[in-house]
Amino acid sequence: MSKFRKVEERSAPAMNTASLPDIVFMLLFFFMVATTSKETDPTVKYTSPEGSRTEDLTPYKQRSEIDFLYLGAPRNPNRATAFKFGYALSLDNVVQATPDGLYSTNAVSRWKKDKFDQKPARMIAPIEAVITCVKADQSAPSGLVFDIRKQLQDIDALTIAYSVKDKGVNKASQ
Amino acid sequence: MANRDIPEINAGSMADIAFLLLLFFLVTTTMDKDQAYVRSIPKKIEIPPENLPDVQKRNILAIKANSQNQLMVRNVVFSDPDMISDFILRFYQTSEIKNKPEENFPLYSTATAGLCDLRMSELDAKIDEADKIGANDLVKFFSSALEEWNKKKKAIRLYGKSELREIDKQAHIRIEVQEATAYSIFTQIHNEIEEAVVELRNTKCKELFGEPYTLVKQRYNQDSDARDKEILDLIEILYPARIVEVTPKN
Repeated sequence: MSKFRKVEERSAPAMNTASLPDIVFMLLFFFMVATTSKETDPTVKYTSPEGSRTEDLTPYKQRSEIDFLYLGAPRNPNRATAFKFGYALSLDNVVQATPDGLYSTNAVSRWKKDKFDQKPARMIAPIEAVITCVKADQSAPSGLVFDIRKQLQDIDALTIAYSVKDKGVNKASQ
Repeated sequence: MANRDIPEINAGSMADIAFLLLLFFLVTTTMDKDQAYVRSIPKKIEIPPENLPDVQKRNILAIKANSQNQLMVRNVVFSDPDMISDFILRFYQTSEIKNKPEENFPLYSTATAGLCDLRMSELDAKIDEADKIGANDLVKFFSSALEEWNKKKKAIRLYGKSELREIDKQAHIRIEVQEATAYSIFTQIHNEIEEAVVELRNTKCKELFGEPYTLVKQRYNQDSDARDKEILDLIEILYPARIVEVTPKN
């Protein structure tokens, strides 16, 4: 039966992978456009509380009309006793604390002023409108948040945002 | 020279390079958006004023939390925090259609375009008077009041009805926490307020303009549109969120 050739002899043709880079680049561009990069890796540990009906801060971030500060437990648990209530404040990765067991909140107003001076020239928002977003640990005492708030009030930075993790809203109830 | 073919560049590793870039972006980016409750802080007052007008009990909705993270609304302990937003809804809605003075909730007043004009002309006269004696602070104060009435007049025009019912100017929600109250309780109170207020605003905005308030607000944040601003102003006059955060005492 010479009409049938042996099947085993034929190898599969090589697949053309020329379009693979295109596909990968497409994925790459999707992620570049759809995501925002992390501002900083905070030097304190914190877990945000959950909440719903929150406001999305992305437009403010795009216009750089927002600064973030972090309130949480220090990474090294042995150092926690050095801070008021065991919580430390992280401003641009610098843990604010003084050796006498108090964290220094007046650092907040200094930091905020510096931040405001460093804003790009095209930003026209006055300091009252530049948001300060507090990212605090869920069990952090509110007294510390109010200390921060007081500092901001002193320099007329009059917009504050309390950060939470959105647990998502029930779309049916909207 | 002989016509030599240019050798083709091997593009086989292009995919590897692109994958490397892709992985780099995957690792360094976060998908979750930053979400928060945005609040404004009152301006600092150098000299505390004396003889402040009394605020009627009915206009205050005090939400308190203690160091044991227990919640209290108007001196009643709330074991289920989800009930607070329902209470806030009642705070707004009790007198919305018709004033019910027998209930312990804020009353509404009626504003008309005529009233706005009257108040604005009164303020104009006051500004002129203050200007003559050179009291700059007064001029500033009256001008901001004038701006308020102007906004209200615009809102009534957009509302399309001859009058607009608005809640008592003094009606506010007061948050009183203690120093040791957990931040999660503090944000939960904000969450309950937001839930109630956003629900009221969304319902009203849908009824008037066919789209929810949150959507209009989102759009306005992206590209400040003048018409959206008017809609937001109107809805915020109808359901103002006046939140007072009381600094805890030591």
